[in-house]
Amino acid sequence: MSVAGHTTRHPARRRFDADRLLTLACVGLPLIGLILFFAYPMAIVFLRSITVDGSYGLGNYAEVLGSSGFWRATRHSLVMGGATTALSVFLGFIIAHGLYRCAFPGKWLIRSVIVLPLLAPSLVQALGLIFLLGRNGIISRALGIEIEIYGFWGLLIANTLYALPQAVMIIGAALILLDARTYEAAEVMGAPPWRQFRDLTIPAARFGILNAAFVCFTITITDFGNAAVIGGDYSVLATEIYSQVVGQRNFNMGAVVGIMLLLPTVISYSIERQAMKRQQAGQTTGQVAYRPEFAALRDLSMAALSLLICAGILSVIGIVVYASFVTLWPYNMTLSPKHYDITLAGGYSSLWMTIVISLAAAAGGTVAVFLLGLGLRRLPQAIAQPIQILAAMPAAVPGMVLGLAYILTFNSTATPLYLLYGTAALIAIVNFYHYHTQAFLTVMTGFRQLPEALEEAAGSLGAGLGRTARDIVAPFIAPMLVSVFFFLFMRSMVTLSAVVFLTTPDLSVAAVTIMRLDDAGLTSQAAAFSTCVMAVVCAAVLSMKATLALMGRRTMAKGAE
Amino acid sequence: MKTWIQTTALSMATLGLAAPALADELTVYTALEEEEIAAYVEAAQAAMPDTEINVLRLSTGKLGARLLAEAGNPQADVIWGWAVSAMMDPQILEMLEPYSAKGVDVLPDTFRGADGKWFAPIGYMGAFCVNTARLEEKGLPMPTSWADLENPAFKDEILMPDPNSSGTGYLHVNAVLQSMGTEAGWAQLEAVDPNMAQYTSSGSKPCKSARVGEYTVGISLAFTAMQSIEEGYPLAMVFPEGGVGYELEASGLMASSDNKEAAKAFLDWTMSDEAIGLYQTYKALITVPGVDASKAAEAAGLPADISTVLAKVDFVRAATDQTAVKAQWKEKFGR
Repeated sequence: MSVAGHTTRHPARRRFDADRLLTLACVGLPLIGLILFFAYPMAIVFLRSITVDGSYGLGNYAEVLGSSGFWRATRHSLVMGGATTALSVFLGFIIAHGLYRCAFPGKWLIRSVIVLPLLAPSLVQALGLIFLLGRNGIISRALGIEIEIYGFWGLLIANTLYALPQAVMIIGAALILLDARTYEAAEVMGAPPWRQFRDLTIPAARFGILNAAFVCFTITITDFGNAAVIGGDYSVLATEIYSQVVGQRNFNMGAVVGIMLLLPTVISYSIERQAMKRQQAGQTTGQVAYRPEFAALRDLSMAALSLLICAGILSVIGIVVYASFVTLWPYNMTLSPKHYDITLAGGYSSLWMTIVISLAAAAGGTVAVFLLGLGLRRLPQAIAQPIQILAAMPAAVPGMVLGLAYILTFNSTATPLYLLYGTAALIAIVNFYHYHTQAFLTVMTGFRQLPEALEEAAGSLGAGLGRTARDIVAPFIAPMLVSVFFFLFMRSMVTLSAVVFLTTPDLSVAAVTIMRLDDAGLTSQAAAFSTCVMAVVCAAVLSMKATLALMGRRTMAKGAE
Repeated sequence: MKTWIQTTALSMATLGLAAPALADELTVYTALEEEEIAAYVEAAQAAMPDTEINVLRLSTGKLGARLLAEAGNPQADVIWGWAVSAMMDPQILEMLEPYSAKGVDVLPDTFRGADGKWFAPIGYMGAFCVNTARLEEKGLPMPTSWADLENPAFKDEILMPDPNSSGTGYLHVNAVLQSMGTEAGWAQLEAVDPNMAQYTSSGSKPCKSARVGEYTVGISLAFTAMQSIEEGYPLAMVFPEGGVGYELEASGLMASSDNKEAAKAFLDWTMSDEAIGLYQTYKALITVPGVDASKAAEAAGLPADISTVLAKVDFVRAATDQTAVKAQWKEKFGR
């Protein structure tokens, strides 16, 4: 590499070169991961999509594009994606705004409840909605009417429940770091609160809002689980793939739809990047953290709205937890712990393994996106841009496609990567790359708020990239890293669609156990197992948060000495 | 605590390298039901103490996707108890090697492949799951045939799996077409279509939705119906007059297996007297002549002679027709 050749005696030059090397490593390592574990498997899927009877051609694409079912599903997917995005970003902004820009007590409650859909296995959300809003659900029975939940509206609610916490995470990353002094200045100049909101908060949050919209749209058009259980006859692209691959063993046609799903995502992300160019990046130095003061009208309405949304989430999940103790929902409502006696499908044994896998995915993943975000800031736009698009793409791949792509890629003895096949490491890896987009965009949104001048000052004072990263960037971006870590941990604990194809007779995960119990008709046991998973995840997250708080206090004490 | 240590140790091992398959390990892919798998494997393991039998259970559709994705370097030694209509897919047959398991000759020709690549001593049936509580509440008559489901009173009260996503869906469609004749069969499906609330992607979902009272009739599987009745749901299992669809659960030897001795021994076991004895406990549908399934059938509330409720199904024709039938179905009923 040319950089190595330049290492001369000149100290400033050497540091510069060392910095360049470090930048290369920061971007290079995560990039190699992205290429090996995302781009390469997807390239193999692409090859399958153009394979027609043993040779290459566009016949599969022509066939898919010529079928009316595909266009109907595309139309449905786009409408559903748009509606879910609008609703999730709107509600997500309300909650993030409430959490970070308003003053009211009980925020911890909102913060804890809002993440619940992330740590709930998909079965829980589906059951919860049906038990509540189904034709024979509690609300239908109480009102004496039959709500028709299956179809567009049910799917919209289910998708929004799932997208909302991710929207809050990303928009929150933009709002948490706003500078208090600009608000003080606005206050002094007599700007009324609505103008402060319009001229300060909204522009500052724009990057987060656009990123959140992108994520919500993408995860909605790729989701299969909700569509299958509550979508009724509302066919979407992900159900098209399922019917091709699982129903008809027509691999190559499924690959075609999988590849086509990348298109709207790449287009929307490119548009978004284009839109962002016009916005000034970053903040000024010496920020003062914003401490909102109580304003009755704003805060009470924000709190009420947030609590209302939380109540909805809590009731959907709570009813499943409750039902797991009910003898025979909805016909014998006496309580009993009998569904917790699980012996089939491997019993509780998969739970512990899943924790190990999820911690590995979360820790490795958080480091990787941090390094990538750090390095990307120092690369010229022309190189950074394509890497950013690649890093934002994984969410556009339905889990099922990713899982099957991993089989095609890693079950081939052609490369040494074969050693990973059938290991827990590969499951951790697929979990991270499945959720790469959300992790990456959260960190990027956080980085966006980091004043460049701060890094520049550190640089001119002689701090290299390593020290700047450790002492300036990491502490600044820490809240985002923590939410990314918990996000990856929670999703890895419960995600099913990709891992179901990567488990082996010796190696299973909790989500697969839940699916097997439900497949066996033991839906109540599946709900009981899900409740245990949720309890374990809550306990793990709480204890990790407590450890973090303790460590934070200790560092603060040390700093005060 | 002990499981924790064990799994940690296991994860350490698996996080490292994938151990090369040992000679005395056997990997079996199956779509049989959890409960029966546990019983069969326990007995088979006792009969083959030197072989460690590792079983991967997936639903019929997902197992197919997995087998095809792994086709470049197959991991399974044996496919065990998998829907024969999926097994007869040329992409799958290509991966199998003919093997005549001990005792397989007793099976009539219709229950084993002409090429010797598969045999099916057992099978499962479709059924209507009718929620009796909802039926009563809505004042609906108990349906006993496909024609009964044409009654407009059943509007939006019936669920059925989509044959394009679910093997169970094709099981029913094929049975209607073959037992009534192609033209009358399509006419029957068309007559029921306006009453269908949804075509689902999963085969057991219609029964699971019916049992919790979301819908009145779920066109689904007898297994799910029996299991739900046993759990206490207000459900009746109905076999439509004129015959219900059924499916054979076929087994075969993977040509790529590097442990064929053990694989063959396992396949032999599935035709052994011991295995057949266990089928009598778990299976209502046994294709071995002279073997009485009445105990399991009776326990499940089935007629002792199960053949009286089954549709006449030609499995070879069902396999060859399936692409065309599914395409036609999608054309007519795709939503």
